[in-house]
Amino acid sequence: MIRLNGIEMSYPLEQSRITVLKGVDLHIAEGESVAVIGPSGSGKTTLLLLLAGLDHPDAGSIEIQGTRLDELSADELADLRRDRMGIVFQSFHLIPSLTALGNVTLPLEIAGEPEADVKAREILHRVGLGHRETHYPMQLSGGEQQRVAIARALVHSPPLILADEPTGNLDKDTGIAISNLLFELHDNLGSTLVVVTHDESLAARCDRQLRLDSASLVEGQIRAVSA
Amino acid sequence: MRFLLKLAWQDLRGSGQSLWVLCACLVLGVTLVAATAGLYQQILEGLQADSRKLSGGDLQVNARARLPAEAISWMEARGQVSLLIELDTMLGTAAGNFQLVEVQSVDQHYPLYGELTLDPPLTLAEATAEVNGRFGMAVDPVLADRLDIGTGDLVSIGDLELEVRAIITAQPDRSLSANWRGSPVMISEEALGATGLVLPGSRVDYEYRVKTDQDPDAWQSALFARFPETTWEVSTFLDRSDQVGERLAQAGSALLIVAFSTLFVGGLGVYNSVQAYLHGKLGTIATLRSIGLRDRSLSIVYLLQILIMSGLSCLAGAVLGFLLSFAGAGFAATQIQVDTVHGSALLPSVLAAVFGLLCAMTFAAPAIGRALSVDPAVLFRSLDGVETGTPRVWWLATLCAAVLVVLLVLLVLPDPIFALSFVGTLFALLLLLEGIVRLIRGMALRMDGGAPTRRYFALHLALANLHRHGSALRMSLLTLGSALTLLVACTVLISTLLETIAETIPEESPDLVLYDIAPYQQQEITRILETQGAGQVDMAPLVQGRLAAINGVSPDADSSLDAQREARDEHKLTYRAGNIDGVTMVRGSWWPADTSDERAWVVMEDREADQIGLEVGDVLTFDIQGRPLEAELTGIFKQQGLQTRFWFEAIFSDGVLDPFISRYVAAGYMPAENTVAAQNEIAALAYNVVSVRTATIVATAKDLLDKAVAGLAVVSSVAFAVSLLVLTGVMASHRSRQVYYSTILHTIGARLSVIRRSLSMEYVLLALVTSVFALVLGILVALPILHFQLRLPLSFPVWPAVAAAFGVSTVCLYAGASYLMRRLHLQPASLLRGQ
Repeated sequence: MIRLNGIEMSYPLEQSRITVLKGVDLHIAEGESVAVIGPSGSGKTTLLLLLAGLDHPDAGSIEIQGTRLDELSADELADLRRDRMGIVFQSFHLIPSLTALGNVTLPLEIAGEPEADVKAREILHRVGLGHRETHYPMQLSGGEQQRVAIARALVHSPPLILADEPTGNLDKDTGIAISNLLFELHDNLGSTLVVVTHDESLAARCDRQLRLDSASLVEGQIRAVSA
Repeated sequence: MRFLLKLAWQDLRGSGQSLWVLCACLVLGVTLVAATAGLYQQILEGLQADSRKLSGGDLQVNARARLPAEAISWMEARGQVSLLIELDTMLGTAAGNFQLVEVQSVDQHYPLYGELTLDPPLTLAEATAEVNGRFGMAVDPVLADRLDIGTGDLVSIGDLELEVRAIITAQPDRSLSANWRGSPVMISEEALGATGLVLPGSRVDYEYRVKTDQDPDAWQSALFARFPETTWEVSTFLDRSDQVGERLAQAGSALLIVAFSTLFVGGLGVYNSVQAYLHGKLGTIATLRSIGLRDRSLSIVYLLQILIMSGLSCLAGAVLGFLLSFAGAGFAATQIQVDTVHGSALLPSVLAAVFGLLCAMTFAAPAIGRALSVDPAVLFRSLDGVETGTPRVWWLATLCAAVLVVLLVLLVLPDPIFALSFVGTLFALLLLLEGIVRLIRGMALRMDGGAPTRRYFALHLALANLHRHGSALRMSLLTLGSALTLLVACTVLISTLLETIAETIPEESPDLVLYDIAPYQQQEITRILETQGAGQVDMAPLVQGRLAAINGVSPDADSSLDAQREARDEHKLTYRAGNIDGVTMVRGSWWPADTSDERAWVVMEDREADQIGLEVGDVLTFDIQGRPLEAELTGIFKQQGLQTRFWFEAIFSDGVLDPFISRYVAAGYMPAENTVAAQNEIAALAYNVVSVRTATIVATAKDLLDKAVAGLAVVSSVAFAVSLLVLTGVMASHRSRQVYYSTILHTIGARLSVIRRSLSMEYVLLALVTSVFALVLGILVALPILHFQLRLPLSFPVWPAVAAAFGVSTVCLYAGASYLMRRLHLQPASLLRGQ
């Protein structure tokens, strides 16, 4: 599903550069769930940006389902995100002027799907917010907003789900509920899941844990902590 | 596309109200453009449609005496002919008041176009017939109102006492300047003869109006060819239309420039409003991009939003302006007798809406481009402090739209010189502004680095807020500065005109001017004036003649029509003695004062000389009463602007005109309170002498100026409202940033009182800078108009402009500062919680 080869990434800082990724190789199979953990500033978000085609590495290549991202134009990258990815943000990033239903239908409407409303309602029901479809984001709690965001990310059944600290802005109980939802849908769809997180219990639920440290990616092992 | 429209509309519905500044600016700006353009077009088309009526015919042949029968037969064979005899003189009332009037006597064919209506509804023949030994007359309603006379009252003209039998309710060829130059009264030809005013040398005009199907130019050429040696002046309805159209174009252009400037300032409001709106949409834009919406689709969504809001606002403005132009046309119709053409306001309103939309897109494009360039990656980090730049393609789009706007301005403004000056001034303003902003920023930075400012933290903060990136300096100068510049320019012009009318004219002009003084009346008139306290009485002959040849070359039948017409144009001639008009030489000089040379010398007025193409040294041949007079042109002079004198077009060396003199003009300098008595005494003694009091002209001019000022005030206040709206938007968008910075400062230990003081200082500095900018620029804009257009000296009262600039900017920025102070609720806790 995902193949990273020799990825190097650095950012300019006045008269020097900060290297956040160096010689990163990664292979993620289809249907796998992978947690990326590491201290702040270790490059976790950078890795996610690269996978989403929102940034370009200084060196190396990225393949998503056999497609090399560096060979795609900006429009083709947008199409890729539209058709083959779902992104869940830490701060939800729902469109404030659209209802819950409106937010969820967006990816399908962008793709020109004729039954966007039907599919959107279906997934809203699945995330437990069928009764809130006409409500605006400001009328929803943080947990509800994140459910809507997850519904939006998954409504078009993307083969790849990218989640950036999906429980970062939520309390513990809500976070657990969201994690459960995320993994339930991931299991149902059979998508590949890459999640950046500080939440060790969330990371432990993934098939693999990758630790970013000193610009390198290493396999790690986190055991789930019982409540 | 349906999806994009739906997305645009849904997103707009939820947050479109934050674009209220954009809407308000466009509505006001487009309203002003539509109203002024619509008003101008209605009056212009009304005048053009009525030009035959206003001219009294398709052509007019003017002569100083009746035309020979042969000429009249020739004209009657080529159209219908109507004779109007006209004479300016004094009309006296039973109460002993005298008023300058235009006496008209017409034949049975009058009017050739339109209708004359009287109240009571008599025919003109009935109103002016001799009944029981007394002739009747019809008088203009303005005159009747001014002299408080009505039907049945007796008045005197020359030797004759007449009865007012009717008031003229509609006269198709009433002069547009009749309200202030001499209202018409109509009497029969027999009555005119009985007044004793028609004497050899009297200034009587014989106007033969012609109604014909032939082309007027062809008709003219045929007349000149048939009667080549005559001195008759010929004009067509098109000439009159052109003359009026030229004046109207200048007035219309001036008003439209104010309107376009308003829309330009409104465009800044559009930019600011769109920028603020889209800044709030950065998260949405980034999100849409991250879920797969292509850049092009994204651009369409936000372009559609701005187009919808701008389109609706421009439409509202166009409708409002269209309706207001009717109100304006209705008022104008009461001032000048013209049937305005209402339907002609439609196209200007449509153009105003198009112009508004183009302007909006020109200013919105860079803001849209900037917002759309936001990187979706910011969603993974933070939206705070996101910096975006405008991509090149959007700058290109802005440039194309700006070029279209400029072309439209050049196309729409009636006077091309005004149009080019306006566009040039705008570019100069923008360049100047950029230079001034950099200069002020540099100065603020230099001052801020100095030890004294470091000691006073409030001053340091205030200066830092001026020179830091993103300060309100540029927008403040551009918005409030532009409006103030306009205000200062108008203030300089109006205060100079008012001072000229109220003081300079009365100080320098004669208190009483007199015309048509017969040679034998000179001594008696002088005596009367001196008895009434005149310290100085200037008298000069008034002779009328044509410029028949230049350097021996006369126009003939093969010359152009304009040259032939120019050769028949009568000029007012006099001799130097005392320089009664107070003219000054601009080229060449007066002839030597003590020359014993018997040659004749002449100097000519600059406008006439330039029109004809005369040069110093030319030998001019004048035709005066059928006799040639040759003189060498030694100089070209200019008249003083806005004075009440005689406007002679050529001044000869003394004695040269002696064989031709049949009447004189005089100027009396005396106590103003004695002028009425002098006027009445002269009228009683010599009814042929026409007298005009400077006070009357000044009052009329002031009345006209008051009306113009009122109109300008209305237009300028709308312009000012737009500027304030834009400034409000600028200040509002800076407020949140200032509150944020202030919160941080307060959190790390700055006192609230110090923060407030620094903000107050910042606004004071802004007010100072904006006022100086507006004062200097406004004066620079006004000076060329004062000097070249109005021909006034370059000295003018400065204090009204200073008061306007500093006063208004202080009030505006004080209001902004007060608003900010009230909103300055500092909550450091919000920072710590990351909200």
